[in-house]
Amino acid sequence: MRCAAGVDVGSTQTKAVILAEERPSASPRIVARAVVDTGANVARAAECAFQAACREAGLDPHEIGMIVGTGYGRYRIAFGHAQVTEISCHARGAHFIFPETRTVIDIGGQDAKVIRVGPEGDVRDFVMNDKCAAGTGRFLANAAEVLGLSLEEIGPLSLRATDPVKLTTVCTVFVESDILSYLAQGRRPEDILRGVHLAIARRTISLARRIPIEPAVTFTGGVARNIGMVRALEEILGLPIHVSPESHFMGALGAALFALERMEHRSAGDPALRGRG
Amino acid sequence: MTEYRGWIHQRQKELMQRWYARLDESARTGWPPAICLMISGNCVELLEAFGIVPIYPEVNALQLAIRHQSLGPILAAEELGYATDNCAYVKADIGAYLMGLTPSGGRLPRPALVLCNFVGCNTYIKWFEHVAAFLDAPLYVLDVPFLRGEEPSPADIAYVVAQLKELVHRIEALTGLRFDLDRFRDAVRCSQRVEDLWSRIKHLARREPSPFDAYFDAITLMGPLYVYRATPEGVEFFERALAELEAKAARGEGVYECERFRVVVEGPPPYPYFRAFRDMFARWRATAVASTYSTVGGIWEFGFRHDPDRPFETVALHMLAHNLTNRNYLQRYDQIRRYVEDWRADGVIIHFVKSCRLFSAGQGDMREYLTRALGVPTLYIESDLEDPRYFAEAQIRNRVDAFFEALERHKRAGQRRIAV
Repeated sequence: MRCAAGVDVGSTQTKAVILAEERPSASPRIVARAVVDTGANVARAAECAFQAACREAGLDPHEIGMIVGTGYGRYRIAFGHAQVTEISCHARGAHFIFPETRTVIDIGGQDAKVIRVGPEGDVRDFVMNDKCAAGTGRFLANAAEVLGLSLEEIGPLSLRATDPVKLTTVCTVFVESDILSYLAQGRRPEDILRGVHLAIARRTISLARRIPIEPAVTFTGGVARNIGMVRALEEILGLPIHVSPESHFMGALGAALFALERMEHRSAGDPALRGRG
Repeated sequence: MTEYRGWIHQRQKELMQRWYARLDESARTGWPPAICLMISGNCVELLEAFGIVPIYPEVNALQLAIRHQSLGPILAAEELGYATDNCAYVKADIGAYLMGLTPSGGRLPRPALVLCNFVGCNTYIKWFEHVAAFLDAPLYVLDVPFLRGEEPSPADIAYVVAQLKELVHRIEALTGLRFDLDRFRDAVRCSQRVEDLWSRIKHLARREPSPFDAYFDAITLMGPLYVYRATPEGVEFFERALAELEAKAARGEGVYECERFRVVVEGPPPYPYFRAFRDMFARWRATAVASTYSTVGGIWEFGFRHDPDRPFETVALHMLAHNLTNRNYLQRYDQIRRYVEDWRADGVIIHFVKSCRLFSAGQGDMREYLTRALGVPTLYIESDLEDPRYFAEAQIRNRVDAFFEALERHKRAGQRRIAV
């Protein structure tokens, strides 16, 4: 059995996934996953997530043949063997779970990206939000905070809306005053939340339209756990969207898949892998 | 990284220092007279005919940025009332004037004339109006019409030639110098020779591997190209630069030990983070084989040359048609397409400059054209050429890495174009 790990150091949370492959041609399976808050010490968060995943898998870290790091903190993972961007990793992870995926929408804590994927899970093109957290997980977190709700509550609550508000901004800072003014007008929290989700969905889909959106669409990243966001994206897009229970781990999963692939290439002596990683 | 650091860099440094020394001398003694002008398709040959030294506010601004000195002047200009989204070149230049800051530490002279030779950008007209007002210097605005078709009309050429001749009289009146047609022809002859040498250097990048980086190394060569184009020093510099790079090509040496990717770059670099930006490409051993930025001063690799037998006419032609910014967007698309095909590039990198609408507006469409119509992998990144506040290193590195990861898989799959 060959084991490989992927560690995704995101802006908010750090995720780790361990994959095991019984024999070379068999499909790998996820044997462990772990998540920790990233905090200020990026290297430590990566180490903690990796160790926690090893414990869950009942494996000694030395039994992991290859570790690939991804996410913003990927270069700080001292124990990793190689780094791959989360753009390639989300594409790879989404393709592994839903092989028919041709478009990936990934919304994380500070990033929103749309990736066009080829039939082999390769990146064909991508677009991202610019240097501003408008329309990302941080925007939802701020909205939840203003309303005194937890992140888990806002998605389901938004689905109970009957008269969604129209948000004038997707700015993570200005959303606060926008929400307060709607509250002052006596609007219901569910209607405000639906407006918040639709605003992000519109922004994300307009980003996605810069590259042709081709079905099937898979939604990944931490925000994919929010059912209100899934429904809002489906409404604006007019298409059903794949969401996996592994969506939060998609980057780490993709990194682990790259790690397995590199183990294969290494044993085959692929010259393309020399000089990097 | 095997970045080229040889005679070219050393000599470039000396030439640029000598230029600043001449400007300092002009400031101290009033001689030689100096004239402010712009890079984009300019008429520096006319200045050389008088022995006048050019002052390039753009070069001053970028020199401040590359030395990490641009933020102070930018803030000084903003305090005076320049908007945050104003051209950062303008703010750095005006702010540096307000602070008494120069890239060399020496003085800059009061120009005998502020010559606005490019009107395609209305911010530039305002920039030179402000420079003239701050320095209490006369202003002359050359009205160079945008290129509307493939070639400028005879009327457009005659219109610019008439202005150049009027400019000659204006310079004579302002400086007391006499215009010498033979000297003008000599300057144009030097430009013709430099353009030929520079063009041959650019064509060397068609080799695999390319012996020089037509974006990062080209910027080193662009200083002497703009300041010394119409002089014998310029000819000598480019003769030796070509010989050196030809020798490198003959030895089969590339920019990197093993060239992995060949790209075309559109847009100016983020000068405040020039090294960090170059490093992002170097990590992937990606060589820029062509760039549009290196054609702002003039497009010579497709054959245009100044001609000493038709000095006024060819200076006008250069200003009207043979520089990047006076041409239309579809012509820029075609220029990039030719680079991708003839210089055999794997992809295109577009660097959007936040504070320059003229250069950057429409780059979203350009990206769409390249990816959808041509199937050329294209990366779009945003920062600024002068203002360090717009550069987010982690985010830009992330995009660059993801782009090369995707290109690598494409190359391994034996594809040159993306399926659209």
